[in-house]
Amino acid sequence: MTAAQLLQSVSWCLYVAIFVLVVARVVRLPTRANADITLFFGATTGIILTSTVQTALDLSSAVWLADVAVALLMLLPYLLMRLVADFSHVPTVVIRAIQAAVVVCVVAYVGFWAQLPGPITVLLVACFVVITGYDAWAFMREAGRSVGVTRRRLQAIAAGTLCVGLVLVFAGIGTAAPASAGFWAALGQVAGAVSAIAYFAGFAPPGWLRRLWQQPELDHFLQRAAALAHLPDIQSVVRAIESGVAASFGAPAASVGVWDPASARLRFLTDSTAVEDGWWYVDPHERAASGRAFLRQHPVLVRDLEHEDPADAELYRAFNARAALAAPITSGTDRLGVLVVHADREPLFATGDLELLRLLAQQAATILENRRLVDEAARVHAREESLRMKQDFLSSAAHDLKTPLTGILTQSQMLLRRAELNPAAPSSMDGLQRLLRETRRLKTVVLDLLDAAELEPTEGPMLIREETDLVELAREVSRARPRVTLQAPGPVVGAWDRARLKQVLEHLLDNALLYDRSDNAVIMRISQQPNRVHITVIDQGIGIMPEDLSYLFERFHRGRNVDDRRHAGLGLGLFVSRRIVELHGGRIWAESELGRGSTFHVEIPLAAPGPTASQVSGQPRMGAHA
Amino acid sequence: MPDGPILVVDDDETILLTVAEFLEFEGYSVATASNGLEALGIVERSQPALVLLDMRMPVLDGWGFARAVRERGLGVRILVMSAAADARRWAHEIGAFGVVPKPFELDDLLHAVVSHYPG
Repeated sequence: MTAAQLLQSVSWCLYVAIFVLVVARVVRLPTRANADITLFFGATTGIILTSTVQTALDLSSAVWLADVAVALLMLLPYLLMRLVADFSHVPTVVIRAIQAAVVVCVVAYVGFWAQLPGPITVLLVACFVVITGYDAWAFMREAGRSVGVTRRRLQAIAAGTLCVGLVLVFAGIGTAAPASAGFWAALGQVAGAVSAIAYFAGFAPPGWLRRLWQQPELDHFLQRAAALAHLPDIQSVVRAIESGVAASFGAPAASVGVWDPASARLRFLTDSTAVEDGWWYVDPHERAASGRAFLRQHPVLVRDLEHEDPADAELYRAFNARAALAAPITSGTDRLGVLVVHADREPLFATGDLELLRLLAQQAATILENRRLVDEAARVHAREESLRMKQDFLSSAAHDLKTPLTGILTQSQMLLRRAELNPAAPSSMDGLQRLLRETRRLKTVVLDLLDAAELEPTEGPMLIREETDLVELAREVSRARPRVTLQAPGPVVGAWDRARLKQVLEHLLDNALLYDRSDNAVIMRISQQPNRVHITVIDQGIGIMPEDLSYLFERFHRGRNVDDRRHAGLGLGLFVSRRIVELHGGRIWAESELGRGSTFHVEIPLAAPGPTASQVSGQPRMGAHA
Repeated sequence: MPDGPILVVDDDETILLTVAEFLEFEGYSVATASNGLEALGIVERSQPALVLLDMRMPVLDGWGFARAVRERGLGVRILVMSAAADARRWAHEIGAFGVVPKPFELDDLLHAVVSHYPG
C-alpha cells in the first residue's frame, strides 16, 4: 500500500466513522441540523462506498456506479449550504443560485454522458469551489459570532470545508494538467485527510476535546461564581448568574427560575412593571422548557418554543426566542430551580450545549445553596439582634422604672417618719422637691412606654392636626433647654399635630444634649422647601456606630457605644419620633461620625392649612406611609 | 473591726441623699459617694463598716470598685443595692455580703444593714 493509499484509507475511515456517530445522534436527537449533518456525511459515505465497491470488485466497467458517486459528489456543496442555513441566515438568492448550479451540473453531466469537454469540467469545478468557499466563509463568520465549544467546532468545520474546496481545486488542476496528475492527486489526498480530521473534530468531537474546549468558559464562570453568593440580595445573585451563563453561551440572554415551594411556582426576575415584587411566577406544568427540565430533573432542548408553548408565542416572538435549552438547578435532592438559555434559532450542537448548560446549572446550584446559607445566617443574626434588643430594653425599663420608684418610696417613708417623730416640725422642702422630681421622672418613663405602645404599627392612632407654626414650636422647645441654638426663618406653618411634633423636637434635642457632653451648642435648623419642611438637629457628641445606624429608629434599640448607666433612657424616643414623622407622611434619618457627632434629619410635607385642613385632619391611618 | 461610717454609693442623687439621711436618722455615721472612684477614695481614707453599693454607675461601676478594693487588700463588707434582675448574681460575683433589691422599703434596708453591720 502506498502512502497515498494509506492516507486515503484513513480519510475514508474517518468519514465513515463520523457518519456512524452522526446517525446515532440524529436518532437520539432528531433536529433539523442533525438531519442535515447526517445527509452530508451520508453522501460522502455513499461516495466512499461506491468507490470501494467498484475497486474491490473491479467493476470499472459499471458506469452507473461511477455516475452515482459523481451525483453524490455534486450534491456535497449543496448539502453543506443547507447546514450553513441551519444556523445562520443565508440569503434566499444564494440558496436558489446554489440549487440551480447543482441542477445545471447534474444535467450537464448526464447530458454529456459523463464525457464532459475540458472547459465545461473546469467550469463545473470552479462552480463547486465557489460554493464550497462560500460555505467555509459562512462557517468562519458564524464561528466569530459564537463562543466556547461552538466557536471551536465551527472553526474546525470551516477548516474541513476549506480542505474539501482544496480537494476540488487539486482535482481540477490534475484534470487540466495530466502531466503532473500524480502530484496533484497526492496533494488532494492530504487535503482530504485533513478535512476528515477537521470534520471529525467539528462534527463528532470526542469527550476530552469537548471538555478541553469548554474549560475556558467554565473557568471564567467559576471565577465569577466564587463571589456571587455574597451579593447583597437574591436578585443580584440571579442577575449575575444569568449574565454569566449568557456570556458563557454567547447567547443574548439566559434566565434563572428560582423554585418557590410556598407557591409551587418557578419565579423569574423581570423588568416588567406589571408584577408587584419584580418576580414573575410561573407554573412549571405550563412551561415548555423550564417547566419540563425542572419537573423531569433532566436537561431539555425545546426546538420550537412557539409550537410547544403556543400560549406564550407572543412573548417568545417579542424576545426573538425561537429555541431554548434548560437544565435543572439541583443541589443533592434539593430542587432549587432551573437554568434556561434562549436562542434565536435551534442550536447547531445541541448535545454539547446541553452538557455545558448542565455543568453551569451545577455551579448555579452551588451558588444558590451558598446564598441560602448566607441568608439563613443573616436571619439568625437578625433574630439574635432582636432578642438582644428586647433584653436590653427590659433591663433598661427595669432600671428606669425602679430607680425613681425607689427614690419616691424611700423619700416618702422618710418624710412620714420625720412627721411621726415630730409632727410640729416643718416639712423638709428638699425632701418634697426630690419626691416631685422622682415622680416626674417616673411620669416621663411611663408616658414613653405608653406612647410606644400606642404608636405600635399595628394600631391606628389619629393625628390631631391643627394650624401649627413649627418655628414657634421649636423656639418654645429650645428655650426650655440649655445650649440649644435655633436657626430658623420666619414662621413655617402647616397642618400638623402640634403635641406630637413637639414630642419629636424634644426627643431629638434631649438626645443630642444627652450624648453631647461638651459645651458646644446643639443646633436645631429649620428650613422651608417648596412642599416640605426640613428640620436638622446637629450635635458634636459621641456619635453613632455604623452598625447601629440602621437599627436606630427601631423599638428598644440603644447604641452599642451607649453607656446605659450614664445615658438613662428606654431607647423608645427615636422609635416614637419615627412613628410620628411617618404619620405626618414624612421621614426621619440620621448621619453620624463616631466621636465627631450626629445629625438627625426630619422632613415632613407642608400640608397647607385651609379649606382642605378638615379633610386632612385625622385621616392618615397607621401604616399608610410605612 | 472597722469602726468607720456606712458608705453609700449611688449615682442617683435622690436615692443617695435619702438613704444617707435615713441611716443618719437611725443613728449611724454615713459617708456618700456618687461613683466607684469617689467611693474608693473614701475607703482608702476611712475604713467603712459597711458599703451600700449600686452596681451600674458612671466612671467606675460596682464591679470595678469591688475589684479595686480587693486588689488593694482593703477588706470591706459590701451590700449591693440594684434595680437589675441579675442583682443577686452580681452580688455573688463581687463577693458581697447581701443584696437589697430596688425598689426597697426603708425597713428592708434597715434590716439588711443591721444584720450585716459588724459587731
